[in-house]
Amino acid sequence: TVTSQEDKLPIPGVSVKLVGAPGGAVTGSDGKFAVKAPSSVKSIQFSFIGYITQTIALTSSSNVNVVLTSDSKGLNEVVVTALGVNRERKSLGYSSTVVNSEEINRAAPTNLAAGLQGKIAGVDISNTSGQPGGSSKVILRGFASIGGNNQPLYVVDGVPINNARPGGEAPVGSIGDLTDNYDFGNAANDINPNDIESISILKGAAASSLYGSRASSGVILITTKKGQSGKLKINFSTAASFTQVSIVPDLQDQYGQGWGKVNYIAENGSWGPKLDGMNRPWGSIVDGDQQTKSYSAVKSNFRDAFDTGKEFNNTLSFSGGNDNSTFNVSYGNVYSDGILPGKNDTYKRNSLTLGGSTKYKALTITGTANYIGKNTRSVQTGQATSGIGSSFYEDILQIPVDYPIKSFQDYNAKFNNVNDYFSPFSQNPYYSINENGSVFKSDRLYGNVDFKVKATDWLTMQFQQGADLNNIGVKLFNAKNAPIAGSWAGGGNDEAYNRQASVGNVVEGSERYFEYDSKLNAIFNKKIDSDFDLNGLVGMNFNDRGSRALYTGIENLAIPGFYSISNSANDPTSTNTETHRRIFGMYASATLGYKNYAFLTLNARNDWSSTLPTKNNSFFYPGANLAIILSQAFDLSAAKISLLKVRAAYGKTGSDTDPYRIYNTLQRANIPLGFGNIISPIGGVAGYSIADRLNNQNLKPEISTETEFGGEIKFFDNRLGIDATYYSRVTNNQILPIGVSPSTGYTTRVVNFGKVRNRGVEIAVTGTPIKTKDITWDLGYTFSRNRNVVLELPDGLTSVDLNSAYNARFVAKVGQPLGVFEAPVPTYDPQGRIVVGANGFPLVAPTNGEYGTSQRDFVMGFTNRFTYKDFSFSFTLDYRKGGVFYSGTADLLNFVGNDPKTLYNDRRTMIIPNSVRAVTGANGQVTYVENTIPISEANFNANYYTSQGLATAYQNRILDKTFLKVRDITLSYSLPKSVAKKIGSERATITAYGRNMFTWLPKSNRTIDPEVSNLGNDLASEFGEFRSGPSTRNFGLSLNLTF
Amino acid sequence: LGCKKSLDINQSPNYPPVESATMETLFPAAVLSTAGRVGGDLSIVCGMWAQYWTQNNNSSQFRNVDTYDLQSASAFVDGPYTQLYAGGLYDYTTGLALANTSKNYRYKLMYTVMKAYTYQVLVDLYDKVPYSEAFQIGTILQPKFDDGYTIYQALIKDMDDALSKDYRTGPWTDEQRATDFVFGAEELKEVQFDYWEKFANTLKLKMYLRMVNAKPAEAEAGIRALYGANAKFLDISAQVNLFVNVPNKSNPFFEYNFRRLNTPDNLKASATFTSWLDKNADPRAKVYFGVDNPVPSINQGDYLNGSTHPEYNDAVNVVVKANDPVPFISAAESYFMQAEALERYFGGAGAKDMYDKGVAAAFAQVKITPPASLLVTYAYPATGNFETKLEAIITQKWASMFGSHGLEAFFEQNRTGYPKISAVYSDDPAYIPGQIVYAPNGVTGEGNFPRRFVFPDSEVRRNSNTPAAVPITTKVWWGK
Repeated sequence: TVTSQEDKLPIPGVSVKLVGAPGGAVTGSDGKFAVKAPSSVKSIQFSFIGYITQTIALTSSSNVNVVLTSDSKGLNEVVVTALGVNRERKSLGYSSTVVNSEEINRAAPTNLAAGLQGKIAGVDISNTSGQPGGSSKVILRGFASIGGNNQPLYVVDGVPINNARPGGEAPVGSIGDLTDNYDFGNAANDINPNDIESISILKGAAASSLYGSRASSGVILITTKKGQSGKLKINFSTAASFTQVSIVPDLQDQYGQGWGKVNYIAENGSWGPKLDGMNRPWGSIVDGDQQTKSYSAVKSNFRDAFDTGKEFNNTLSFSGGNDNSTFNVSYGNVYSDGILPGKNDTYKRNSLTLGGSTKYKALTITGTANYIGKNTRSVQTGQATSGIGSSFYEDILQIPVDYPIKSFQDYNAKFNNVNDYFSPFSQNPYYSINENGSVFKSDRLYGNVDFKVKATDWLTMQFQQGADLNNIGVKLFNAKNAPIAGSWAGGGNDEAYNRQASVGNVVEGSERYFEYDSKLNAIFNKKIDSDFDLNGLVGMNFNDRGSRALYTGIENLAIPGFYSISNSANDPTSTNTETHRRIFGMYASATLGYKNYAFLTLNARNDWSSTLPTKNNSFFYPGANLAIILSQAFDLSAAKISLLKVRAAYGKTGSDTDPYRIYNTLQRANIPLGFGNIISPIGGVAGYSIADRLNNQNLKPEISTETEFGGEIKFFDNRLGIDATYYSRVTNNQILPIGVSPSTGYTTRVVNFGKVRNRGVEIAVTGTPIKTKDITWDLGYTFSRNRNVVLELPDGLTSVDLNSAYNARFVAKVGQPLGVFEAPVPTYDPQGRIVVGANGFPLVAPTNGEYGTSQRDFVMGFTNRFTYKDFSFSFTLDYRKGGVFYSGTADLLNFVGNDPKTLYNDRRTMIIPNSVRAVTGANGQVTYVENTIPISEANFNANYYTSQGLATAYQNRILDKTFLKVRDITLSYSLPKSVAKKIGSERATITAYGRNMFTWLPKSNRTIDPEVSNLGNDLASEFGEFRSGPSTRNFGLSLNLTF
Repeated sequence: LGCKKSLDINQSPNYPPVESATMETLFPAAVLSTAGRVGGDLSIVCGMWAQYWTQNNNSSQFRNVDTYDLQSASAFVDGPYTQLYAGGLYDYTTGLALANTSKNYRYKLMYTVMKAYTYQVLVDLYDKVPYSEAFQIGTILQPKFDDGYTIYQALIKDMDDALSKDYRTGPWTDEQRATDFVFGAEELKEVQFDYWEKFANTLKLKMYLRMVNAKPAEAEAGIRALYGANAKFLDISAQVNLFVNVPNKSNPFFEYNFRRLNTPDNLKASATFTSWLDKNADPRAKVYFGVDNPVPSINQGDYLNGSTHPEYNDAVNVVVKANDPVPFISAAESYFMQAEALERYFGGAGAKDMYDKGVAAAFAQVKITPPASLLVTYAYPATGNFETKLEAIITQKWASMFGSHGLEAFFEQNRTGYPKISAVYSDDPAYIPGQIVYAPNGVTGEGNFPRRFVFPDSEVRRNSNTPAAVPITTKVWWGK
């Protein structure tokens, strides 16, 4: 009998070979085998994929009992595949990556995305903000959907969960639209990473298609920790760390406060005279007083404006069980106070998980319930609504380089307060973080219950019901303030400027999300004969989900400091948004295995979606994949090859669209004015306008077709492994609103649109250069390169806008990658010289020029783990090369003269190099003559702002996106068992860790971490950022105890 | 499976279906679109070109306007166009179709006149715009552009058709009256449709006057026909006067420039206009700029020259109030147009009376009683030649269109050449107060003033029928 070391169960299918003679056998389902051995045979070899091959010397006994030990690097890895079915990894005909709990939690991240960064080929994960609890952007194999959702589907224990980013449900521009200004985190980040046993990443269509239309951007399959039979196990992990700003803008240190080389004290910039280190008065003049300081750049000014934050992350779990029942309970708690002074950027999360399973005869019931309570306070990023309040990040960028930012921290003090603040063009940044803010609270419950009945030895029936309910309350508030007339900021300054009053506001919001998912499966697993076995499933799925958001707000507080909807002379305005969608699916999948080395899988799904027109709401998508383990079929041990597998897959995924894109609607009259709006009712009369989006009753589902080839090879007893994948995915008939000529009566229309192709390669290399009793050195390297190209656009359009800010546009163009930047460029004469106007400034060309794409050249990750006895040292590198992004931070820094790029030509009067002027002759002929008109040093600054310097401004605003980061770095020490035992512990590990400790940026971007964005976490955020906060790094200690 | 019914949940719970549109709800929405853009950014831009105000040298919001550097993609060019088509005109067109179907001739007149006014603004700004193929959704996604004169003719025909119907009888509730943001006030209850008739007539008069350069015969025939039919013209302003000092419910110029920009000090008094007010000691300075004596001011477009003009820092601000109306045609404008028409085609009889009424209405609209001495200064040059009289009329019209009516002053300058173009910059001792100067940072070349808007980006990029680009300095079809 052959049994497994791990679970003591018999192993069927083990190959039994006689050494030195032909003949052999395969073990049966009970692990037994029989073989006739001639006397010349001295030993028998037992091999089974995923287990260490064993050779047993033959004794006279007729009974041989063999215990095989699994090879941890082998192939028996059972992976969770589509619909929660466990399959052996070897049988998969597509690339699949599994990351286990230890890898994820190495540096005590508070969300799972942070635990995956740099560790998986083909996965691009960004932290979009330094805000505690902020969102992550996870993109598998590049962007494919231009208008839809590119976020993967998150599935926990077989059940999809909600991954919404709160504040994204209400109409764009309404008071409930928080997308650009507040980041309360995407819902998948709620999950406590310590509760995760493993994560499987399904990137391609072949892998994910059974999940239906939501899986068209891939699936993140999360398996949570379960109780095991045996004695009670207690796990405690605790981590404490400090948070610091990581990347802050480099500021110039040559010129001080002022504008046009003059010390206009009221100016919010560094366009003043050259810094000379002399003691001089500075800042506002209050009651005839002015402060004095050295006229020199403040060192580390920006960085010192922030605090050191702290983060605590604890999890306590209990698990255990007997042969029939298991349970697990886990409580997790995160408290994080971010990098801003004060308590207005904090994140608290309490999570409680209860799980259990029990077996009665053929029935197994498994259930999990999770509660997550969150309380987040976030400060506003992006552009503040002028006249209501101000935003810290906008204000801090406008402080001159010689003004100590930190000195404004006491925002009520003389020189710093509302009346005295030196510039009427901006506000004291510390005012807004202390007086304005937000509170986000959510209570979320999700989980599932799963019934399995083993009907026969080859058939199991499964019913699974999942639910995910999230209740959110949001409050946003801005304080009312205005400088007193005649005070410094109230017009009593050297430029007689008045600061715009902030009237204050309060917004109360509630959001509710629900998702119910039911499925019924018949799972079969049948050995047909000694060569063939068949397994698979047939099932159906019903998914019902939606949201409700209601936001109400007032602006202009009657009583300052009191934040209630009733506290205003103005009537409150409200916006409510509901969405509801359903999808019904039927699917089947079957894998035919041949001799345990060739596996052919066929699968298909049909969906019926509520979001598509009734006539087109049914869509079918099949797939097939093949895996052949050549090393099993042929003996390759002589070549030191322990595994050689090739795989091929072809699959389709279908996708529906957002709700309510079929029928046309009216909308309440809301007239955008450019700045501000007029919103009905006016004069007590309601107005309704025909909505600007033309919906479409003929929509068809989006279909992606993906082909994937790959292989895996392992050498030297699995010490070196390479896994490579090539894929090509074409997405057809994408559904999205595209711009339409306004003279049709609409500004956008929803269409089935064009084609986008993503092609790429993913390579993962693993190696163990050293493996001795005391020392182990493991390496992992991943490389991915995705190339997407827009193959078709509708209606003969040459480009479609995806996003924009000021004059920069992020567009889709035929033949180009999805997401090309277009922005103003100078006019050039036929000889390529810049044409300037009468004032010497470059003239803007009539059409925009191209500034590159957001697409990266390639992405690489590198993991390293070195273990010596009880010590272990690891780090992960994440390198992303290429691509550009728009920076709203750079925009403001250029405008105010704080950016080092504004030091060009030492800011002296100059003629634009290589420039000409156009001269129109009497005959109308245009000729170009050398430009002799200088730009005076007093107006040098105008080169750097879009109003006068539009032609060249974008060169400094669209920046290189390349970076290299040390994602995590850890040093662990496992206490010797003897020592651990003394505290009653089975295992005790102490770890010093750092997350995002080091970041390298290219020379051309010294402004902001390209990962951050306040523009959401999907394609629109690839545009860049608009005055987001800086990224952060963490370093701390963690302790893991197992009892 | 019963799944068909459970999947039928795709009617938006957030927005009413388009089929529920009514004349009563579309009209106010559409009028707000027109008022929001005409009295908002279009008046800010064109009022800058009419040189009431200029860019503050210490800020930069409108520099591109003050340099005539408005590209196709500029929000100033694309924004109003988009809103006026997809917002205003589409709602007028839809409401008009409903009025025609239900034979509601009251709404028919209201919709027709407002639609004509809105198209007239677009034609006068962009020269050619889609008309005959606009709003043919389902069949035409890329409408062709029609030339301005063709559109003018169609609009006048539409108004004649609406005027020919019986819009005075038939049911008309107080609720319906309240949806009329122009003449729906309680006190106009009995004369509401008399005023719509007058608005239509005055708009026709305005359009015929626009044609005097390009289509003199048609202009004359049209105006003679109006007078021959004893047409009544506006004696009160056709305007939206419902704005209040509440966020999102204010005068659009105020909401844009004063409530929602980071500083309310972006626009400063232009020396072009203040020099004229100052020369005449016109008390309207107090209303327009908040001070009796509007100095210092900034020479038009001279924002880069602050270092040699320290007084620019103290330049007076522009005053537009949250509850200011947005005029479509003001009473003063109506009188001035009548004065011009009488001079052009009827030997000038009664022109002085209309001119005086125009001046009186211009002061009345800012609630100022003009001093007698000023009325002498502004006296109608009854003995002068036609151009002298026209200059007086248009100059007074210019002086009355400050604020949310600034757009019209720009058009009239393009049509008549008044106020005159100055031979020298306004800092020159030889400068004649009130003459238009070329902005020193202009990108179009000295003396090449903006005469139109370029075609908007959202047509250029989405509609292959958009005509080839025409420079901003090329006059529109009716330009002088």
